[in-house]
Amino acid sequence: MISQYAAELCALLVEDNFGELFARIFSTLQRYDRLSFPRLKFYSRLSDRQLRHGLAAMIQHHLVYHYTSLDDGATYYEPNLQAAYYLVRSGKILELIQDRLGKYAATLMSTIMFLGHAQVSYLETLPELQPEFPKANGVKGESETGESEDQANGHGDDGHTFEQPALLHPTLKALASHGYLIRVRDAQFQSYADNALDAERALKSRPDVKQLKGKKLDETVLDGTLALLKEKLDGDLTRGLMFNGLPRGAKRRHANGSADAPNKKARVDYDDDEDEDEDEDEWSDDDMGGDTSPMESGLVVRVNYEKLDVALRNRRFLDLAELNSSPATAQVYDCLLRRIEYQTKQCRDSAEIPREGEEGEQYSAAIALSAVTDEVDPLLDLAGSIGPMEVSQPVNRRGKRPLEDGVNGTDHEASEKPSRIYEVDQHLSLLSQPPYNLTSKRMLSGLITWTVEFRHLARKLRHLELERVIEARYGDVALRVIRVLHAKGKLDEKRLQEISLLPFKDLRQVLASMQAGGFVDLQEVPRDAQRQPSRTIYLWFYDPDRIRSSMLEDTYKAMSRCLQRQRFERNRLKEFLEKTERSDVKGNEERYLSQAELTLLEQWKAKEALLLGEVARLDDMVAVMRDY
Amino acid sequence: MASAGSSGRSVTELAAQLYDACINKFPSDHLFYQQDLLGLDIVPKNELALLLQCTQSLVDQKLFRLLQGKNDRLAWKIISREDAEKLQNLSPDESLVYNVIHSTGRSGIWVRAIGNRTNLHKSILDRCLKSLEGKNYIKSVHNVKFPSRKMYMLAGLAPSEDVTGGAWFTDGVLDENFINSVAGFIEYTVSRKSWYEVPVSDGHRNKRMKTADGGLAVKQEGAQREYLPFPAGYQGYPTVPMLTGAVNESGITPVRLGEESITQLLEMLCYDNKLVALNNGEVYKSVKNPEQVKSQQARKPRSDDAGIDDRLVRNGMTEAPCGHCPVFKLCAPGGAVSPESCEYFDPWLEKALGF
Repeated sequence: MISQYAAELCALLVEDNFGELFARIFSTLQRYDRLSFPRLKFYSRLSDRQLRHGLAAMIQHHLVYHYTSLDDGATYYEPNLQAAYYLVRSGKILELIQDRLGKYAATLMSTIMFLGHAQVSYLETLPELQPEFPKANGVKGESETGESEDQANGHGDDGHTFEQPALLHPTLKALASHGYLIRVRDAQFQSYADNALDAERALKSRPDVKQLKGKKLDETVLDGTLALLKEKLDGDLTRGLMFNGLPRGAKRRHANGSADAPNKKARVDYDDDEDEDEDEDEWSDDDMGGDTSPMESGLVVRVNYEKLDVALRNRRFLDLAELNSSPATAQVYDCLLRRIEYQTKQCRDSAEIPREGEEGEQYSAAIALSAVTDEVDPLLDLAGSIGPMEVSQPVNRRGKRPLEDGVNGTDHEASEKPSRIYEVDQHLSLLSQPPYNLTSKRMLSGLITWTVEFRHLARKLRHLELERVIEARYGDVALRVIRVLHAKGKLDEKRLQEISLLPFKDLRQVLASMQAGGFVDLQEVPRDAQRQPSRTIYLWFYDPDRIRSSMLEDTYKAMSRCLQRQRFERNRLKEFLEKTERSDVKGNEERYLSQAELTLLEQWKAKEALLLGEVARLDDMVAVMRDY
Repeated sequence: MASAGSSGRSVTELAAQLYDACINKFPSDHLFYQQDLLGLDIVPKNELALLLQCTQSLVDQKLFRLLQGKNDRLAWKIISREDAEKLQNLSPDESLVYNVIHSTGRSGIWVRAIGNRTNLHKSILDRCLKSLEGKNYIKSVHNVKFPSRKMYMLAGLAPSEDVTGGAWFTDGVLDENFINSVAGFIEYTVSRKSWYEVPVSDGHRNKRMKTADGGLAVKQEGAQREYLPFPAGYQGYPTVPMLTGAVNESGITPVRLGEESITQLLEMLCYDNKLVALNNGEVYKSVKNPEQVKSQQARKPRSDDAGIDDRLVRNGMTEAPCGHCPVFKLCAPGGAVSPESCEYFDPWLEKALGF
């Protein structure tokens, strides 16, 4: 993460989202890493006041770690690059939340995101979280009940007024039980290394540990540190909020059916909430609904990006499934993934993506077939999208697909309509097939369960991204060569030709251009000590790990280029845009702007959307190559 | 001397008898050891010296070829009379060269290797090779692995796969058109067998499939056929022998292709992500259904941009101008190449937004 382009990108993101003061502090910290207050002041050339205000706010946003050393009593500040990077993913996260838990949840999430972290009692006071609150920009506050949602929208005044508090708390609970929100712990404000050192120190001072020596000591300290860290950093809120393995408010797939469409209303631009700090206490929190026990009002929550990465990753797996299977199959897969998501805390155990070939298998929690079947929409036509086992069969007397010749072909009459469970199993089996092996079957004490092998699939996603880039740059011939090299390891030209069945001329051309681009490498193996070129074997190879990391850097760079370009484009139109942002013009564009200016504004908006959209697409790649 | 004369005659007679017996009783490529020859009961009293004389005379007549068998024992092989006649007409040098070339069989031998093994001078060797080639006893072959080497092998032999590179090479060069046509044929054949075609007459089906529109595998348009995937564990996917048979029957290949060649091609198609091998390469399944394969193959000859949806789905890096930028490495804010002065962004924005 600490690379030139990643740093550049993070600084840009901070500046875009929070303005120049934050950016100045952040980039100074990035350049010098760990700084005490006086040093920071010296390097950043900011006044005491500015710096203190900035740091306090940045700490709230988790953009800066701080650590007060016990030895010298000084406080050190450190940039939190990860948190800065996640700023770019916020749009995607909100979209996901809106899709899963409805619009109100997304608004709530965006508020929490905007605040960095927030106390529940404070959230209660916020005007924009009150269902009835009329928005400044004319959009009526959406009022939906957390559970049975999506139908009502756009009518702020249809009797939900009395259920106001019942909206915030159930939604908070739903978010928390999904694991999308976590409790803020003190340790989260310190960098991981500081926490680890602290834990180690605490452990070593314990009398029973002090007596240990050598290897045993190391082991105890290591294990103990991890346990202690986990305990300190753990902000899990899902405990006690799940029932039957399902989080609250998790809507069944079939509940929302086609109701996604009316939900399309543009997300409220939460930038205009800037001044909300002032109007605290304007809305006193009134009586809670008797039936729903509210969240602890003293609880401080923040967004759990790790868990959201899991959800986003599952979405990518689903995309992969949709690519090659029928929609019914994809829906079944979605149900399985949803179930798995509830039980997955993070994308992987290790901090770094393990090297290719060294990563073991990491299976997800196993989900019983019956549970998946429960989840699947009962109206979904499962039978219509899989062919029969035997082609020769006289087909379809009444349009019913003869599936009874399958595995359980013992009783023809009885299984005229195969059981739902069997059909779901069939769809999942279909997914378990190569090339992607999206699922795998497990028998657990006689019970059929289905799991997903995460590392394998994450690797597949990674390779797919790299292959896309290679195909776009060097054509499909290159793609074949890469796949051969990847499958077979190191190969000399002749063997490569035999496998890939490409003429020498094409092969050499494509290998040379890929080598220039850094995608393949050549190893020389001399046959004697003289290292004559004529007596040397040349082996081509493809190192996906190396390509991945360099591609990741390129992606960071491309992202910052897009952001920089956007800024440049904005500067080009600076005066015009300032006019459109004037308080009297904003919202009344039709009245104050000429036709030409309106088109210009349209164009600018489209341009900005395109550039930001591109950044989000690039972020998808980063996620695949770094986070999954 | 009479005795010597009689023994000399008897040696040739015996040798002839021995040769006939060998020809009649054993296959032509049998490797004879001493026991085999004694076992024929032709040499009286199993006299070893006599046997040796006989075999020597046969070797001289080029009817036997002397070889070294297992454990350094002497062994012989019979040569047919026609071949022997050919050989008898050769000069000693030529015969030496011929034997060396013969010994390498179908893999052929490099000229320099012949030189090393025979210790003949290069000019003599060239002369021998020329005369042998002129008599049509040997031929020069082209080796794919060493295209620059001059190789020879016996005229009557077909070069082995190692030398020719398999069925996909014509004169040592990969025959691209041939490969593509066979590959296309195979993909289509596999595809037809790996998707279930919903009978068109069944009107009920279309109504039922309405819930599942937009799917890749399911085509809704009226005239188009619908294809469904087979369930997991389906046994009807085509195997290598089936496909080999289909290719050979189709008449698209002038030569019969072996299963190995077809396997090679199938693997290549797997690397192209067109086919998927199941059960360790026993059976193959296609990724696209027959309609898609057909339309894709029909599109092939046309211009490149038509094939764009044929590619993998694009990602952020391939879309952004930076992904194609030739000077991406040099790009830095404020530099000679910078995001502000970038000349790719404007055309890209214009193209994407259409103004």
